[in-house]
Amino acid sequence: MNGWTWTATIALGVGVGAAVWGVVTGPLRRRVVAQNLSSALAAPGLLLLAQGYGRPAYVDLALLLALLGPVGTLVFARLLADDLAGDPPRAWAVTLAVAGYGAVVVLVLCAVTGPGRAMVKLLVVGALLIGGNLVASRALSGGFPGSRRG
Amino acid sequence: MNARTALVTALEVLGWWAALTLLWLVLISTVDTLEWAVGTSAALVGAVTARAARRAVGAR
Repeated sequence: MNGWTWTATIALGVGVGAAVWGVVTGPLRRRVVAQNLSSALAAPGLLLLAQGYGRPAYVDLALLLALLGPVGTLVFARLLADDLAGDPPRAWAVTLAVAGYGAVVVLVLCAVTGPGRAMVKLLVVGALLIGGNLVASRALSGGFPGSRRG
Repeated sequence: MNARTALVTALEVLGWWAALTLLWLVLISTVDTLEWAVGTSAALVGAVTARAARRAVGAR
């Protein structure tokens, strides 16, 4: 165990633990938000583990999660649109806090990695993670009413 | 398809191709000839698909 893996363990335990608790309890509007944030909480943990184990290939797991997590949320947003319309989620504080956590992790790892292709890859993962999460959160809140024309 | 449309199409596909190739080169671990060949081929397929997808969404 080193500092990276310790941080990752704590972040994964607290963050994803809280997200799982949010998914299994409470009203629907809280569950969808927790489901959306779970991938945004897990991906920085995977980035920290990649650094901790010294295996850059593990960054691909975070990349995949950052890509597929918001896509999954968009499916939920579409399928549950009728149920969420009357009681839409309003959780921007938590969403922005989680986005900030992702940004801090990515920036710290960029500083450690130094300039190069690996750093650009980290920035791509971070942009996908934060951008995807914000778009998915907005979709859950009914921010894209035109998308229901399908 | 007149000359102008063909030019715009070619430019758009070229733009997607360049961007996707760049993305590929950033995401792989070691850059060698085989990666270049596979990457540029996959990026070209992706570029044509990206243009088709953008047109399909824009046509709604």
